[in-house]
Amino acid sequence: MTQTIDISSYSTITDAIRSEARRILSDSTVSAVIGYTAGRRKGSTQPIVITTADDADQLIFTAACLNDLVVYLTKAKKDVPKSGRIGIVVKGCDLKALVGLLGESQLKRENLYLIGIPCSGVLGSLLKPSAELTTETIASKCCECSDQLPVGCDFVPTVTPAPLPDLEKRYANEIARLEAMTPSERWEFWKEQFSKCIKCYACRQVCPFCFCEQCLCDRNRPQMVEQTPRPSGNTAWHLVRAMHLAGRCAGCAECERVCPMDIPLNLLNRKMAKELKELFNSEAGFEVRDTGPLTSYREDDDQSFIR
Amino acid sequence: MQKQITEANLRLLIDSLLLKGQRVVGPRQSGSMVLYEPLASASDLVTDELPRRSIKEAFFPVCEDLLEYRKEGQQIELKDIDPARFPETVLIGVRPCDAAAVPVLDAVFSWDYKDQFFLARRAKTTIIGLVCTTADDACFCTAVGLSPNDPKGSDLLLTPLVGGGFLVESQSEKGEAFLATWQDRFSEPDGTQTQALATPALQPFDLKKIKAWLDDHFEDPAWDSIAVRCVGCGACAFVCPACHCFDIVDEGSEKAGKRRKFWDACGFSKFTNHASGHNPRDLQPKRYRNRIMHKFKYYDDKFGQTLCTGCGRCIRVCPVGIDIAGVLEEIQEK
Repeated sequence: MTQTIDISSYSTITDAIRSEARRILSDSTVSAVIGYTAGRRKGSTQPIVITTADDADQLIFTAACLNDLVVYLTKAKKDVPKSGRIGIVVKGCDLKALVGLLGESQLKRENLYLIGIPCSGVLGSLLKPSAELTTETIASKCCECSDQLPVGCDFVPTVTPAPLPDLEKRYANEIARLEAMTPSERWEFWKEQFSKCIKCYACRQVCPFCFCEQCLCDRNRPQMVEQTPRPSGNTAWHLVRAMHLAGRCAGCAECERVCPMDIPLNLLNRKMAKELKELFNSEAGFEVRDTGPLTSYREDDDQSFIR
Repeated sequence: MQKQITEANLRLLIDSLLLKGQRVVGPRQSGSMVLYEPLASASDLVTDELPRRSIKEAFFPVCEDLLEYRKEGQQIELKDIDPARFPETVLIGVRPCDAAAVPVLDAVFSWDYKDQFFLARRAKTTIIGLVCTTADDACFCTAVGLSPNDPKGSDLLLTPLVGGGFLVESQSEKGEAFLATWQDRFSEPDGTQTQALATPALQPFDLKKIKAWLDDHFEDPAWDSIAVRCVGCGACAFVCPACHCFDIVDEGSEKAGKRRKFWDACGFSKFTNHASGHNPRDLQPKRYRNRIMHKFKYYDDKFGQTLCTGCGRCIRVCPVGIDIAGVLEEIQEK
């Protein structure tokens, strides 16, 4: 049965973000704050970079604030000012991506001012941004979230998120369904999914971990991966993407959310995360680690998969 | 010419076309999405949802082969694609915002170079448009000079009637010929009222005023504030019925392979990357500026039309909520 999810705290959170942004901009703690603002359509939102305290009132937090803003901190986004300290609004899932980037030496903690959101969940899609947040419309990532309250931020509004109702673990269930398939059935499933890809690279462009200045898949002298949106090139691209994110992906699920062709990309990421957890007891979290599970070697690493 | 057709007869007509071996493409459920795809039977046709991708791919596919090559020793064999092999096609249930983009594409694909791939498919296609009776808050055809019943681009236009069935109006010789061929399925209009049109919420833009601003604001701080959020994917361009940029690449080996044409997008960082390594559009705001300039200035300068039909697809899919109608409002207010 569909249940409404309690997001009454979001107006308090909005007020708190605004006053904190105003404070840190006016006392020059930061040079800019990256947050969310309302869009033209009812309920819609978009990322915004504000640089003056007067603009703080443009910031909002609602169930339609889906973007993982951390992507704007990466070197892939040269257009966003990187001078001085930058304030950024992060949900728990976004923060895990940011922590991953700190671990990969892509960001320096002292250059950031983190405004954490005590999160009660966001919508799964922005096709209808004014939709009410319910057990149906909530993002799949939120159904398996254990990080509603971000840890280690510079500021978190003093709000306790209402506990989420019992939610179907959609990824876990779908992964179990795929694991139960024969390899050829599974291959058919992914072949069909990848055949939908039109190579718009929205998945790459929103990913905080896709910060390569030269993506292998864009190379044409020599061409490393077929560029055209055809079965072989599509499959190659999605395998490259999944493998490059293994042990790094923090689960913000933006790749899947933005795919205009509804390819369930986060399933690949979740499957990788599951393997990493089982093999190396490693998962994305709030604690910065210098090396990832696939970038370190230990004598007692499980080698049973080598046959 | 005006005719009328019942819902049942329209479905029968589609099945008759299919039975004759005719390729019929229309909106159909494809997994979780509605897409323009070949119909296997009339029951596949979906009439209450705008397809996720536009109708441009009927003439300008996501990817197509241009030629094949084979090399053995010093012998090189080139094999052209024969446009004669493109099948005769009826496109049905095409929304006015999609149909209106087709003449816009005609202009560019037959301007200095005649693109035989586009034009051969175009010549073999009859477009049956379907008037919109519902709109969502991303729709803005009325704001860019079109309307939910605009006949532009359609050979035949279907308007839903109160109580079911459609009024059928021919808009071209192709449309007349189609009506004549299938006259048994149509009847004379009996005066039944047509359903109320969709009412997109946006007021018409002053496109002349917007263009005048674009004419002398190639450099303006507004581009930064509008486009700083753009992450540089191609989603907007790929779902757009009017965007038509493509790239060409040879794929295969030294021995054999194919030359392919596939969709490209001005949002991509490599789009204007020169062989020297210099990129005149080095930052995202410059790329987004090109998107707006091309649609509302350059195309107008060259062909006297706007390269946007207000379908709203880019608004629905943009990962970062960039709303082209909102951008136009902002420019108009300057």
